[in-house]
Amino acid sequence: MAGQQPPQNPRKDDAAPPPDSGTGMVAISYLIGGMLVWGGIGWLVDHWLGTKGIAMGIGAVVGGAAGVFLIVRRLGA
Amino acid sequence: MTGQTIVLAADVPFPPTVEDFFLPSIVPWGGDNVWLTKITLLVWLSVAILIVFFLWAYRNPQMVPTRRQWLAESIYGFVRNNIAVDMIGREGVRFAPYLATLFTFIFVMNLWSIIPFAQISPMSHIAFPIVLALISWVLFIYLGFRKHGIGYLKHALVPPAPWFILPILVPIEFFSNFIVRPFSLAVRLFANMFAGHMLLLVFTLGGFAMINSNVLLAPISVLSWAMTIALTFLDLAVIALQAYVFTVLTASYIQGSLAEEAH
Repeated sequence: MAGQQPPQNPRKDDAAPPPDSGTGMVAISYLIGGMLVWGGIGWLVDHWLGTKGIAMGIGAVVGGAAGVFLIVRRLGA
Repeated sequence: MTGQTIVLAADVPFPPTVEDFFLPSIVPWGGDNVWLTKITLLVWLSVAILIVFFLWAYRNPQMVPTRRQWLAESIYGFVRNNIAVDMIGREGVRFAPYLATLFTFIFVMNLWSIIPFAQISPMSHIAFPIVLALISWVLFIYLGFRKHGIGYLKHALVPPAPWFILPILVPIEFFSNFIVRPFSLAVRLFANMFAGHMLLLVFTLGGFAMINSNVLLAPISVLSWAMTIALTFLDLAVIALQAYVFTVLTASYIQGSLAEEAH
């Protein structure tokens, strides 16, 4: 069955194509991932320098911005 | 108040806890041995049901399908035409067997959570979703390296952007493509099945807890049990949706690995 090609023409009983939920998950994971990665790196910098959260704050903001940039570039706004 | 709580606890265990998911051995001499519990039995049953059903449905294929052949073909055709081909394109046909297996296996495993006497899904133990997510994870990374060679790393990690912001973007790409993906696949499926079972436990046992504490609360207990029935139907929708979402996301990751250029 795996070798058989799918029908060329759409048929009436075909179900709807899957909603592009993958794209939504990609957007969310970029946004949260950006803030987590750079916030986490900022947290490490905080520990290293002994500052109290300033690097983590900067990291989270930069990461969030980078996440938005990635969404625009990868998914095309 | 304390005395009442203790009396209640003697009648029905309320509220339900995570301990309720760890079932005792089903063989009488098993004791605390966890190698054969209801969970293990349900996993083996799921595998057996799927193998037997598809072999039986295809034992004597007809040009005009019989009813069971129609059912098996509809399930496979749905995954092949509406998930594999729609998401991956024409070469998606070769992933249809894997995706169809994934879809039917997750669906049957999830379905146990609302089948009488089973009433718990093995998927509410995170070990099972983790293994499925790892298989999909290894698959899309392997496909990426086979298609692009070592250039897959560039394909997956380097977005189209000016060079001076790449150091900021590459760690995010790595995190979201190789760490968040398997994690979210596993946790999404596990959490849905866990929460579904927990909800049913809360409403069923809560009804007993209320009627035991005060007879005047009996109407609310009945309402609680009616909610259990309604939530069972909600669970049915969640069961089908989660099997579908897991399959669609796996297909979309495969598609990302096979894509010609970064996008």
